[in-house]
Amino acid sequence: MDEVTLYHWEPNANSGKPMLALMEKGVPFSSHYIDMLQFDQHKPEYLAINPQGTIPAMTHDGLVLTESTAIMEYVNDRFDGPDLMPSDAQDRWRVRWWMKFMDQWLGPSFSMIGWSVFVGPMVRQRDPAELDAAIERIPLPERRVAWRKAINGDFSTSEMAESRRRVGLGIAKLEEELGKRPYVGSHQYSLADINIFNSTYSLPLSQPDLAGKDKTPNIMRWLKRVYTREAVRKTWAMGKTDLAHRYGLIMAEIEA
Amino acid sequence: MSAVLYHGEPNGASLTVLAALAQSGLDIECRPIDLLSGERHALPGISDPIALDLCIEGEGPVLVIDGEAMTESVFLAQYLDEAAGGAGLQPADAYARWEMMMWCRQITERLSPAAALLGNLATSQHAIACIPDIDFANLTACIVSDDLRQRWQALKDDVVDSAQIADSETKVASAVERCEKQLADGREWLMGTFSIADLVTCSWLAGMQLLRPCAFAQAPLANAWLARTLAQPCVAAALARSTVSEPLRAWAPGPEINRWG
Repeated sequence: MDEVTLYHWEPNANSGKPMLALMEKGVPFSSHYIDMLQFDQHKPEYLAINPQGTIPAMTHDGLVLTESTAIMEYVNDRFDGPDLMPSDAQDRWRVRWWMKFMDQWLGPSFSMIGWSVFVGPMVRQRDPAELDAAIERIPLPERRVAWRKAINGDFSTSEMAESRRRVGLGIAKLEEELGKRPYVGSHQYSLADINIFNSTYSLPLSQPDLAGKDKTPNIMRWLKRVYTREAVRKTWAMGKTDLAHRYGLIMAEIEA
Repeated sequence: MSAVLYHGEPNGASLTVLAALAQSGLDIECRPIDLLSGERHALPGISDPIALDLCIEGEGPVLVIDGEAMTESVFLAQYLDEAAGGAGLQPADAYARWEMMMWCRQITERLSPAAALLGNLATSQHAIACIPDIDFANLTACIVSDDLRQRWQALKDDVVDSAQIADSETKVASAVERCEKQLADGREWLMGTFSIADLVTCSWLAGMQLLRPCAFAQAPLANAWLARTLAQPCVAAALARSTVSEPLRAWAPGPEINRWG
């Protein structure tokens, strides 16, 4: 079987999903770190792999796969190892529903907040002409708009308020869901847990007013269950930025 | 197990799920509801409403199984296919399934909101605007999702954003072009074999053939594929459930347009 190659940034949000899925399945892969903050994803060598310039991307058997959730489903279908989808059809529906809820409704709100407080300020320090040239190289027009907004701090008050509303509601619904079952959408660890964990692992630190031991005990119990998985620890060891340091802080918070 | 499928007229998301149900052969009771009267937000016997309350797709069908409200037409089609033990709507090969899911996501993220916007402005906006204010307030008070309620309100208030209309027309034209390109190798169905991708794409594009025929003018392969899909027995069975003369002109508030990036 041909080698799996994964092009990814930090074990976080979208990049973290296929990293964790491969690790859980025990599939060896060649790791290519793409530094999103240096715009590596829009450089010619990466565009030759994924012309859309989005990360992550995975190659296997001469095929190129994109979109993190869809890559995870391919990994689960294609390789041996523990099944990361439940066997019951209604449970599978629920797993898919929660992944879409995160990918298309809650995730963009987390992302807007994250970009406005983290990504934007980090890249804003650079030479404006260099940044402008980097943005012009982005293939997808909607991603150009997103980057400009992040760099210029152009998110409107109403956009940010709506994102905060969604984050609050999403956390409350996740808390409700995890009161029904030990994992997201089913009674087994699945792709939905990997998907949602990658955007919620730092909630106790990033949203202390909304999540924590007292406010969201179900989420905290679930986070602890996921954090202690060997695949999570191994994946997090691949991080290169301050995000990896935050992992230690969150572990301490959860275990305190 | 108790199971009821509540659905609107066979167009958009409801058409996808009704056709998938027909293909599956499962014996599930279908109950038509009037989406523009807000009946979807007052369904009986629901003990687990999260997926109904926070459905991203807008006014799509709801499958209620043992009190759990299940939504999102692509996933309902997958559920019906799998609950039937494999009705042939999903490819067996992992990469082919990835291709199908990628295609469906493109359709539901880009085409569906665009088609719903154009369809609603053309056919349901007037009906919603005519609802007396007090009745409209009662109707929308039952809608849990703030963002879905806002889409209803925008139709009631006749809020027209010309940039969104232009963007939606572009997205419809792009979807047609994408189909034309996909079919250029002579294949009969979008993924090679008949699949959920055909159902979903046809469900959102067929109504656009009536509203934006110019988008289809240079697309003979897409037009032939649409006619083929509409003639498939499962799609024909779904369309036969219509209670109006032109179900492909029946729209209700749909998915939201991407908020950013």
